[in-house]
Amino acid sequence: MKFSIQRERLVESVQDVMKAVTSRTTIPILTGIKITAAEQGVTLTGSDSDISIESFIPREEDGDEIVEVVEPGAIVLQAKYLGEIVKKLPTDYVDFEVQNRFQVIIRSGMSEFNLIGQDADEYPLLPQIEEDHVFKIPSDLLKNVIRQTVFAVSTTETRPILTGVNWKIADNELVCVATDSHRLALRKARIEGDAGQTYNIVIPGKSLNELYKTLDDTSDPVEIVITENQILFKAKNWLFFSRLLEGNYPDTSRLIPTDSKTTVVVKTKDLLHSIDRASLLAREHRNHVVRCTTIDERTLEISSISPEVGKVVEELPCESIEGEELKIAFSAKYVMEALKALEGTDIKINFTGAMRPFIIRPIGDESILQLILPVRTY
Amino acid sequence: MQPVVMRMIKNAIWKDRLAHAYLFEGMRGTGKKETALLLAKSLFCEDPAEGYIPCESCRFCRRINHGNHPDVHVIEPEGASIKKHQIKMLQEEFAKTAMESNRKVYIINHADLMTVNAANSLLKFLEEPDSHTTAILITEQVQQILPTILSRCQVVSFKPLPFEKLVEMLIDAGVNPKKAPLIAKMTNSFDEGMALNEDEWFAQAQKLVVKLYETLKKSPLEALTALQDNWFAHFSERDQHDKGLELLLLLLRDLLYIQLGKKEQVVFLLEEQRLEQLALQSSGLRLANQMASVMEAKRKLHANMNPQLLMEQLVLELQEG
Repeated sequence: MKFSIQRERLVESVQDVMKAVTSRTTIPILTGIKITAAEQGVTLTGSDSDISIESFIPREEDGDEIVEVVEPGAIVLQAKYLGEIVKKLPTDYVDFEVQNRFQVIIRSGMSEFNLIGQDADEYPLLPQIEEDHVFKIPSDLLKNVIRQTVFAVSTTETRPILTGVNWKIADNELVCVATDSHRLALRKARIEGDAGQTYNIVIPGKSLNELYKTLDDTSDPVEIVITENQILFKAKNWLFFSRLLEGNYPDTSRLIPTDSKTTVVVKTKDLLHSIDRASLLAREHRNHVVRCTTIDERTLEISSISPEVGKVVEELPCESIEGEELKIAFSAKYVMEALKALEGTDIKINFTGAMRPFIIRPIGDESILQLILPVRTY
Repeated sequence: MQPVVMRMIKNAIWKDRLAHAYLFEGMRGTGKKETALLLAKSLFCEDPAEGYIPCESCRFCRRINHGNHPDVHVIEPEGASIKKHQIKMLQEEFAKTAMESNRKVYIINHADLMTVNAANSLLKFLEEPDSHTTAILITEQVQQILPTILSRCQVVSFKPLPFEKLVEMLIDAGVNPKKAPLIAKMTNSFDEGMALNEDEWFAQAQKLVVKLYETLKKSPLEALTALQDNWFAHFSERDQHDKGLELLLLLLRDLLYIQLGKKEQVVFLLEEQRLEQLALQSSGLRLANQMASVMEAKRKLHANMNPQLLMEQLVLELQEG
């Protein structure tokens, strides 16, 4: 293998794939980055076996030659050294050359590094992409979908399947559900692709958090390919692979109540700030429990009592309150996280009794829903 | 090597009747871990000969050999035991789909060293097997495995090489016939035996053990000082102490054989003359008691007793006899 490459592009790519590399792995080869040089350009791959990131540097872009491949080939180099080395090389161009066995020479200007690499054949095989079952979704929409669901995944390993987000794809509609069995976040989005394809998969929350960091805030489309073991996201110059969680996701559709006994419409920010204040006293006690009582048709009372600390009461003016009177207690943390995930200035909350879950939705937007279980206090 | 085990594995693969969990059990040096890796390779190999012999040259076989296959997990004790977090990591790993194919294999070496917490976590995991997961537990001490784990595994016993056969093999490989029986008693693995034969430390250790016993017989009061002068300088690590005690046990056993007139069973052939002298000065009952003391000392060594105190106590006990 022998090629010469623009240093700036290489640094960028190495940093991208470094996100997937961890030092605490049981598989020695995964401490390295795989470099593959081919006719079309150079590919870098990093992986911690849960997620894998592949970054592609094309031979030329906008008439600019970025890579010159003299001899194709592949090698695995220690990620921590490679990252530091390319960052600190003196000139704008870097030459890579693999000599006999796995000796690699990295040359830039007058400086020369001699690194010992590993056999690229030892690196895990990533699934091959089949172009026929591709879905497309704009990058910024995908980012939103992830942000609005992933916070609700379970953090305990007692039920591993709940540490992931359930993605259902049918009739070109993507439905994402995340729950930790105390609250549930649901988001729907339209995607482009083959309408006949249906999928029901669970993606680990950790992987989605990493993907979120990798995605841009542009409306460029991201391609999604789902294989038997992995899901693949493809943007212009990088590929993001994630393993899936094994098992069946619980059926959540029956959990969402359809009727409503009390309906409250309120400004998102007002409610958020009010609960935030009330939770100040509840922070260390009883799981951030905050109480909410209907006073009249336009006022809610938000209160919190901690016997050792004190109490707080606040009246919150609402747009409207319809239906039965209500006294309910809930975890401030869950409600605040749900409110932060929602878009829109006004929200509608549907309560179905003090002991039943309630639903928060932005007004006029059916694509997103947050469901929270109340806390038993009265 | 291990014809019974090999036939069993071959049939399991041919007939596609692989159990979800195996417990490989047998003495040290009987090739348990090699067999476990061999089984993993058989399952992953691209082109196994006759459907089950791994080719050892495809990228799957090579990666398993180098510990680089992402779907084959080998857990080794971390320090003195296998901790709960290691099993937890395994569980997290197995909650996800496999990286490359559908098949996943995990191997737990020295499964008897699992902490109680770890064993209980594993139990839950073993109970809900996935059709594509194969667990291989390896242990030298099957009696220390929790019965609840044992009952969920198919136990595969690895038979040690017969003593005579190993002696023969060692002699054929150029080991001094006078040394071979002792080496064969110390290990059941041919490779390890060859290493012991070359080992300067081991040769010295034999001499020290005989000398210690002689001192005990001749001038019991000097034994404690001899211990300080020679023994502790030579035996520093825990497993070295273990070997020393094993040698002492073999020595006492030899003396008993000499008294009973079964000289062909003696393994300390290099020191035979001296042993015959020593045998005259002891009684069968006394030797039996001394052997019991040494065995008790070995047990205490594994229970983490301070080696120095342990040896001193042992010497005092041997003096009383």
